[in-house]
Amino acid sequence: MARHVSRRETLAGVGIAALSAGCLDRTRNIAGRDRSSQLTLEINAPPADRDPNAIRIARHLAENLNAVGIDARINTLGLTDLRRKVLINHNFDVYVGQFREAEPFDPDAMYAFTHSQFVAESGWQNPFGFTDINGTDELLASQRRTGGDERREAVEDLQRTLCELQPFTVVAFPDPLTAVREDRFENWTNRQPLSVGGLLGVERVDAGDGDADGTGTESGDGTAAGETTAGDNETTAGDDETTAGDNETTTSDNETTANGLIGDNPFTDSGDEEGDSATLRLVTTDERITQNWNPIAAEYRRYGTFTSLLYDRLALVEDGEIIPWLAAGWERVGDSGIEVSLRDVDWHDGEPVTAEDVAFTYEFLQDTSMGTTESPVPTPTFRGRVSAVDEATAVDEMTVRLTLDGVNDAVGVRALQVPILPKHIWEERTDVATIAGFEVDAETTEAVVTNNEDPIGSGPVRFVEASPEESVAFERNPDHFLVRADDGDDSTGGGDGSTGDEGDPLAGIPERFRGKPAFDRLEIEVMGSDIAAVQAVGDGFADATVSNLGPDAVPRIGREADARLVTGRSGGFYHVGYNTRRAPLSNPRFRGVLASLIDKRSLVDIAFDGYAEAAASPLAAAPEWVPSDLQWGDGETDPVHPFVGEPGSLDAETARDRLREAGYRFDEEGRLIAPGA
Amino acid sequence: MSLLLSVVSSLALWVGSSLLVASVAIIRPRRLYGLWNDLRDRLWEIRKPLAALVVVLIASAIGRSSLQTVSELFGLQLTWAIYALEGNFVAWLQSTFGSPQLTMYFSSVYVYGYVFLLAFPFLAYLALPRTTTVKRLLVAYALNYAIGLVLYTVVFAYGPRNVMPDMVTSLLFTHNPEFMALTGEVNEPTNVFPSLHTSLSVTVGTFAVLTRREYPLWTPLAAWLAASVVIATMYLGIHWLTDVIGGTALALGAVSLSYRLVDEE
Repeated sequence: MARHVSRRETLAGVGIAALSAGCLDRTRNIAGRDRSSQLTLEINAPPADRDPNAIRIARHLAENLNAVGIDARINTLGLTDLRRKVLINHNFDVYVGQFREAEPFDPDAMYAFTHSQFVAESGWQNPFGFTDINGTDELLASQRRTGGDERREAVEDLQRTLCELQPFTVVAFPDPLTAVREDRFENWTNRQPLSVGGLLGVERVDAGDGDADGTGTESGDGTAAGETTAGDNETTAGDDETTAGDNETTTSDNETTANGLIGDNPFTDSGDEEGDSATLRLVTTDERITQNWNPIAAEYRRYGTFTSLLYDRLALVEDGEIIPWLAAGWERVGDSGIEVSLRDVDWHDGEPVTAEDVAFTYEFLQDTSMGTTESPVPTPTFRGRVSAVDEATAVDEMTVRLTLDGVNDAVGVRALQVPILPKHIWEERTDVATIAGFEVDAETTEAVVTNNEDPIGSGPVRFVEASPEESVAFERNPDHFLVRADDGDDSTGGGDGSTGDEGDPLAGIPERFRGKPAFDRLEIEVMGSDIAAVQAVGDGFADATVSNLGPDAVPRIGREADARLVTGRSGGFYHVGYNTRRAPLSNPRFRGVLASLIDKRSLVDIAFDGYAEAAASPLAAAPEWVPSDLQWGDGETDPVHPFVGEPGSLDAETARDRLREAGYRFDEEGRLIAPGA
Repeated sequence: MSLLLSVVSSLALWVGSSLLVASVAIIRPRRLYGLWNDLRDRLWEIRKPLAALVVVLIASAIGRSSLQTVSELFGLQLTWAIYALEGNFVAWLQSTFGSPQLTMYFSSVYVYGYVFLLAFPFLAYLALPRTTTVKRLLVAYALNYAIGLVLYTVVFAYGPRNVMPDMVTSLLFTHNPEFMALTGEVNEPTNVFPSLHTSLSVTVGTFAVLTRREYPLWTPLAAWLAASVVIATMYLGIHWLTDVIGGTALALGAVSLSYRLVDEE
């Protein structure tokens, strides 16, 4: 990014004088050198309307960079453009963003994020171009293969190495704040409201009387759920006869389902706004879910919560609890194999989910071209997870065997958490992506770039309609195993013989998810800003916010009578990412000084209104992994790269001294001179 | 959505009644009566510039989202340049003059005053015996929109409230989030340079000065409103000073072009 006056211009200016003076050689020696100029760094961040926290971090960093003589420029970009620039094109200096895990995560999440084997790939794998072959790479590999104390040691060393080398600077773990109103839906979790578990755990208040009784006495709940789902199943049968798959028929069918359901249900006869009462209305400032439903698209997914509701994974991990999801169960076979048995479920278009689909998914995510291009085109997300699986083969219709790459159990469970895709749809998307028939980039397949309109998954909700940048609607999938098996359990489900022999078809599924989701329809509307989103909840136009709330929006929740603040623990840490392909960001010493320009303590107060935890380690959300020397504790400052200055005020002179020590130079006006590119 | 509907109906009510009052006070009943009798002929006379404006507005409504995409992909990302140029001017403006009363005033001017400011001259100039001025006004509006749309596409930049939320409060939406439902329908947050609020207001203000003989009462009112809208764009944290200067230049250019394109009858 450093700008230089071109050599030609300089030469033209001094050419005549040089010739007449007759010292051409000396002139060449001087003019042949690139002229030094001030170092410029571009900081990319989303605008305040989209993410009120990130831009504040960017502003803080830019201000301090300017104070030490670096020309920092903030470039605001929409969420999709920002991701494309950083994750796909790697065309950035510095960015401010959030990690893609919604909940506290296993240390192996760092594998794809920082391992040098992924530098050439686009997506969520090593966007920094960071290479530390003997340190980070080895520790990442070792924590995958070892267990117990050996793994713990590797993970601790890994964190120390990452903290020292700073391919990215962890700023803080934000509290996942959500404004909710509880007059229609209740039981908002205090772990992570915006997660698959959080949204499935929500209960309807309308059916409140029934449910309140039901939670006390099992049978009461059972009958209530049984009755409603029985109604569901009737229409489902009709649905199957007319071979669903056509989206229109599915939609209209379900409208009748909703009406029938309300007519049948004795608990909803209160008479208020009929069909609307079963709709969970969410508001967000993130418009991407209204445009794209591709579970592997790196530009469009934040945490992937809604695509996880569309596409089931083999396992669901909630608050450390491993729940067999699409898989009814699994067992380790031999040294490196897992044999997974599937639940009996259908895709949203009526086709059955088979072991073949699962095997396809793992192969496909390794190479979305399925071997048709010169070099593989791997998935831009879930790359670390699928890299743990060497091979996936269907043993029979309902059993799939995964051969793991010698990884431990924790990493094996992570490998079970990828969206399972229907083979009959995604095998059509293995061609190189084209625009109007022209290949633009042989490194991209249709699967990676498709918006995946009318997504067909197997999840508890299915797609209904969307109007881009405005809203999207999903509906409850009445065929999902959470609903169907719960029904079969009570009313001796007709024709469900296959699941009967296992005893409880919902084995392993916690009570709070059975018969869920509690809503018939899920609507997400895009709002202009976090403040507008909170206001919509306060005014009763929405039930909950699902995007980040800034320091101006949070106090507003308290002022709205019906709105309440729900929060939990997040894994989506805010960080400042550096493009280590570019000098001087390639120098870990330089990055270390940049890290010490970030006053994390003050940022937590300013940018997050206190609703965040400052941190040094990317694993700080899972404190059991963090060694004591990296814990933030009650300390005011970072244990590895302490802020230069007092909280709230930078000591620019000391920061310059650090940069001088690292070998950087300043001109007479105090500007840092860009080292020759 | 009902929120949008309530904002729109309140806007229609307020602007409608202000237009009524202003028409009687400024245009005077006699001219209004003449306008009523001659309405069809006059509309027929101005059909070409009116059609041009309608075409530009429709094109803008349809093409906006695709042009937005073009802007995202190929536009000049100039947020940093604008900030480097003017620094914290908008933040200074807010911190120096900010008060709840002024916020209230500028918010209503930005939404209600602006719509009135654009609508009234059309009526007033249509009521004039000759249609030259109303034609020029329509041409100037069309030019503002058309050139503005091109510049929006070329320049990809966010406004101060999106770039420096630590210093510039998004006053309009913080105090009246319901307005966001309305402006969100007609504005992309990346369409900041130039400020069309500024350019159209200055256009109206310039016409008001040029037609001061016909409507001496309108000139000071229009000047006051136009100046208020211009300041409001910055006070509310929506636009940069650079956008306002760009908008003013666009307005003056559009007015002078409209005089060249539409000759005196």
